[in-house]
Amino acid sequence: MTGTQHAGIDFAWLLANLEIAEIPYGVDDSPTVGKVETFILGPKAIYAAEAFVLGLFQLYPTVYFHKATRGAEKLFTELLMRLIRIVKEGSAKNTALPDNHPLVRFANAPDELENTLALDDTVVWGALSMMAEAADQTIAQFACRLRDRKLYKSIDVRTKVARHLDPNGENTDDVIDKIDLTCVRIEEKISEWTSENGGVVPRVLIDKAKRSPYQPVEETKGPLDRINVRTAGDQLVDLKMRSSVVAALKPFKLFRVYVNDNDDAAREAVDQIVKGEMVP
Amino acid sequence: MTKSNAEKVAQIIRDAGGRVVGRTRLQKIAYLLWASGLESGFSFSYRHYGPFSEDLAAAARDADLLGLIKEYEQQASWGGSYSIYETDASQHLTDVATRRALAMKAAESDSVELELAATAVFLEKEEGHRDPWAETARRKPEKAGDGRIDKAKELYRTLQAIKTPVRLPTMG
Repeated sequence: MTGTQHAGIDFAWLLANLEIAEIPYGVDDSPTVGKVETFILGPKAIYAAEAFVLGLFQLYPTVYFHKATRGAEKLFTELLMRLIRIVKEGSAKNTALPDNHPLVRFANAPDELENTLALDDTVVWGALSMMAEAADQTIAQFACRLRDRKLYKSIDVRTKVARHLDPNGENTDDVIDKIDLTCVRIEEKISEWTSENGGVVPRVLIDKAKRSPYQPVEETKGPLDRINVRTAGDQLVDLKMRSSVVAALKPFKLFRVYVNDNDDAAREAVDQIVKGEMVP
Repeated sequence: MTKSNAEKVAQIIRDAGGRVVGRTRLQKIAYLLWASGLESGFSFSYRHYGPFSEDLAAAARDADLLGLIKEYEQQASWGGSYSIYETDASQHLTDVATRRALAMKAAESDSVELELAATAVFLEKEEGHRDPWAETARRKPEKAGDGRIDKAKELYRTLQAIKTPVRLPTMG
């Protein structure tokens, strides 16, 4: 529960206008493989579908990719990966968890279904206070930070780069390409710095994501990877051909770096790399 | 400095002959290399087209931005579109002949048959299915039809015959 009032959708109307139709499909450059039945929307649901896609777009910055949410997720991911690694190495005692703790059992045998079912949020929250006293410094520090809500500080690199390269917010494809390229270069430099200056506990955590509210194409791109709308003339068309709002939406991209708030050297290094790569 | 994921994607395309047609084909080539112990650094999960790596997809975009590869799109006859990846294959080839053999064979094969073969490998290795071909046909009935599953098995036998560091599983 986030409390946000964004992204209300007319679910009943969307469902009432859901239809089934046959769509041709293929893979890459292959000839048509055949047709498959899939869901489409009737002509009266165009505006409801538009609101659905737009709502999803608004939820990325406000909820799914909020910097605090992602910052906590990055810490938890590192904590869990470290825990599994040292348990597998036979050093479970360094986690400060008892051998029969569900997290330790899971780390020892992740393929056992009951070990997964034994994990829930109460198990993890309860484990944090114990792990805060672990001999392993990554586990101890990250458990402490999660328990006390003391997350690493976020540096929104993409926003900095965008402000520098696109001060007027034109957001054209050419400018987006330049921003993307600069972010890739910065990421490479930061990864290089991290591998040369890594500490016992990770000093810098990189968070990069891209989500499209519409057409999340992973592989082959075609009629199955879009919202098809049946027109009044009984043609199936891509929703964005009927909605200028949907057609104008660009993917949401983030590139943030999370830095230990007590580590001035790491923060300074990241700042210098970002500045050094921001050439107009 | 370790090789970046973008450089790894470029190397895969280079070893496949410098040209890979289709995002699906690129994903399956990378998965088969990974399953054979010839690639590392990418994690794969099961998606609509079989084994898929988000890291690999992102790395391909980065490689294009960095100029390590060139990606462009073309229209497919069935109404969709597909990507073509190209890079200079005349230099920096890996010295592992088996890697090049596997990548090139996969790159020149039919996309649907390659998808079926890679899916069967994933189901055998990652999900432990006793009859991965039957499970593949069950999950992808349209693609497996018209004799394509048999052609995929034939393709797989060719790929499996390549003596890779980690042998691809024997399946039916």
